[in-house]
Amino acid sequence: MTPVLEGIGALLDPTILLCLVIGTLLGTLVGAVPGITATMAVALAAGFTLTLEPLQGLAVLLSIYVAAQFGDRVPAILINTPGTPASIATTFDGYPMAKAGRAGVALTSSALVSAVGSLAGILILIFLAQPIAGIALRFGPIEMFALVAFGMTMMVGVSGGRIVKGLAAGALGLLLGAVGRDPISGEQRFTLGIPELSSGVPFIAVIVGVFGLAEVFNQIVEARSGRAAKPIEQLGRWWPDRAERRSLVKPAGIGAGVGAVVGVVPAAGGDIAGIIAWDQARRASKHPERFGKGSLEGVAAPDTASTATMGGSVTTTLAIGVPGDSVMAAMLGSMIVWGLTPGPALFVQNPDLVFSIATIMVVATVAALGLSLVRMQGVVNLLKLPLNTLAVVIITFCMVGTFAVQNSVFDVIVMLVMGVVGLGMRRWGFPAGPLVLGLILGPLAESNLRRALLIDGPFAVLGSPIASVLIALSVLALVAPHLLRILKGRSAARARSTADAP
Amino acid sequence: MSRTRTRPVLAVAALGAAAALVLSGCVSRDGGGADADAAFPTGTITMFTPTQAGGATDLTARTLASEMESILDTSIVVENRPGGAGSVGMQHLAGLSADGHAIAVLPVEVSMLGHLDYEIDPADYDFLGQVNAQPGTIAVPASSPYETLDDLLAAAEEAPGSITVSNAGAGSIWETGAKALGAEAGVEFQGVPFDGGAPAVTAAIGGQVDAVVASVAEVAPAHDDGRLRVLAVFMEERAPVLPDVPTATEQGQDVVIGSWAAIAAPTGLADDVKATLEAAISEAVESEAYVSFVEDAGNIPQYRDAAEATEFVLAEHERFGALLAG
Repeated sequence: MTPVLEGIGALLDPTILLCLVIGTLLGTLVGAVPGITATMAVALAAGFTLTLEPLQGLAVLLSIYVAAQFGDRVPAILINTPGTPASIATTFDGYPMAKAGRAGVALTSSALVSAVGSLAGILILIFLAQPIAGIALRFGPIEMFALVAFGMTMMVGVSGGRIVKGLAAGALGLLLGAVGRDPISGEQRFTLGIPELSSGVPFIAVIVGVFGLAEVFNQIVEARSGRAAKPIEQLGRWWPDRAERRSLVKPAGIGAGVGAVVGVVPAAGGDIAGIIAWDQARRASKHPERFGKGSLEGVAAPDTASTATMGGSVTTTLAIGVPGDSVMAAMLGSMIVWGLTPGPALFVQNPDLVFSIATIMVVATVAALGLSLVRMQGVVNLLKLPLNTLAVVIITFCMVGTFAVQNSVFDVIVMLVMGVVGLGMRRWGFPAGPLVLGLILGPLAESNLRRALLIDGPFAVLGSPIASVLIALSVLALVAPHLLRILKGRSAARARSTADAP
Repeated sequence: MSRTRTRPVLAVAALGAAAALVLSGCVSRDGGGADADAAFPTGTITMFTPTQAGGATDLTARTLASEMESILDTSIVVENRPGGAGSVGMQHLAGLSADGHAIAVLPVEVSMLGHLDYEIDPADYDFLGQVNAQPGTIAVPASSPYETLDDLLAAAEEAPGSITVSNAGAGSIWETGAKALGAEAGVEFQGVPFDGGAPAVTAAIGGQVDAVVASVAEVAPAHDDGRLRVLAVFMEERAPVLPDVPTATEQGQDVVIGSWAAIAAPTGLADDVKATLEAAISEAVESEAYVSFVEDAGNIPQYRDAAEATEFVLAEHERFGALLAG
């Protein structure tokens, strides 16, 4: 009980409340502005929060993380552009609802189920973090390698159906991850004599480049070719009626379940959870035919799921030290700087921290929900900023934020280069997610595998039940969808042939 | 008409103003030259660290900077230039002008990186004083069969390369520490570099490796609550935070190795500037705030003056050259 009280008590400092308010406002804002993702906002803010106390900094970063998942629904519903990748699936039914004049109901319902999802995820953090931490000390190098390998199979999932292009982007990320000093021998690899590259390609600069800057570049290109989406004028009724509220329950439940599981899986975040939940809710719905044409259920499921991933992602990050999603990957860096190195040791050294983090997330959820309901119409106005103004503001923030991470002009150059690379990827349909996954997970996989080989020799995997299971799951994750498709194809063919027979 | 007539007037006025400026400039410069000791520092001093904000070196810099601010009566800004194992920040400092307004807290790596294929040479810096010592230790998991340093060394001798020893990373001082122990005892360990000191210590707590070489500060908490057993400290005397742990020397292995930090400036400081900074550092190191900061972290507030520190860094540079070549 003591760590619970200590963890919550540590937050009574009024400066932490102030940090929470700032983070919630910032998060809602950046979420609502397409182009600035929660990952990028957290990475940018990290440059400025490093000098704060750890709890103050965590209050800012976590509340940005939470609040961005409320703000990003607004442009997804109103202009068919997800504010952050977590609301990709929100566009499927949110935008059709807005076109049908039901934007108000869609926005309010989305905020309500997002809060439900967030709280469900936090329950996972509170109740499962300790058991996960308990087994976490058994995660040596070989188990970590197996876990990271499992995380890398998600490259297929985040490719959004473009598997070859997704894997190509992932391979580029792995190559970038190979730059730097060899983790075991210390020899130079592809450093080109540049001292900054000794510690590897700066991944925050890459994330800001391929997500933030590339999105701005892309919008500029689209605006010039006259293809920018027009906002909706008619918002309609705001509060859902009783029948609508009742129809939210089932998809929200499905969403919370999917989100909780996907959240715990390393490197899988709200975007994947949203898409899976949308699909599951469609299968379970009484009106699957309405999905994709303005179904309120189709908004509720992905929005619950993407917010429910947050608790799970935080749990994985804290307990095992492997980022639960890309936002947590950015936050991981700050935590290490604060001396709160995520991983088994954290739970031994700072058990109260889990409860501090859970409390910060609960307060941020409530604050973001309140802000969403009260200021929704104000946030809508932000989108009316002309693109030329918005682009300059975003690019400036990208450069200042990237420089601030380690006072390095080199990092800014990397960000600009990756912005152009990211634009090229976008124009030719290569997803950016796998690239960042490769860059972050590649070095983790390599160094842990090589440590394991030093410790246990070439058959290290066989000696560890956890590693064996994880490697088997990784193989299954890659093979199962194909097997299922083949089996389905066969049974469909059989069904057709039996139907044709008489 | 009126415009052409006013022009010469303006020109004369401008000339007069310029002359006055030049004159006053000369006067103030003469005044400054006559009393150079009092003139330094003439502005803000930047204290660099070649590490991320928030780490041990950064906190050392911030604690010292706030003490030195009141001693020197100027503002001191701490600026982090991490990257490249510290080489980025060190090279940055070496390229700045040696007027005393650019100084840095440099960790032990300044004497090691040159041997590891980085372009870092201790001769590029004027060392103004050593400010701490972070002695090394070797520790085993609580469940380990090895009760003493001799037990561990005997096992390593029996099966060379079978004893795995984690450290903070390739090229880190603790990888070198394990090598130094192995060389002294004539045994071979299997080094396992991790990504930082905390994961290396965690791997020993979790029993994934047989032992860990890390600083006193990193292992003392785990030793105290029984998750690790420290077998030896690599210093001349026992560590104040681990009074029950014998030194390696007591156990017949003459190994004294550890991390440290020194304050440095680009080479070529004027003697008076150097003396002013050296005096300020020696006073700051003795302040209560600094001593308690170092001791609370489990380290030693060891001070060497500029001459001793320079000699020490060069001796370390030479020693690491021999150890890292092997």
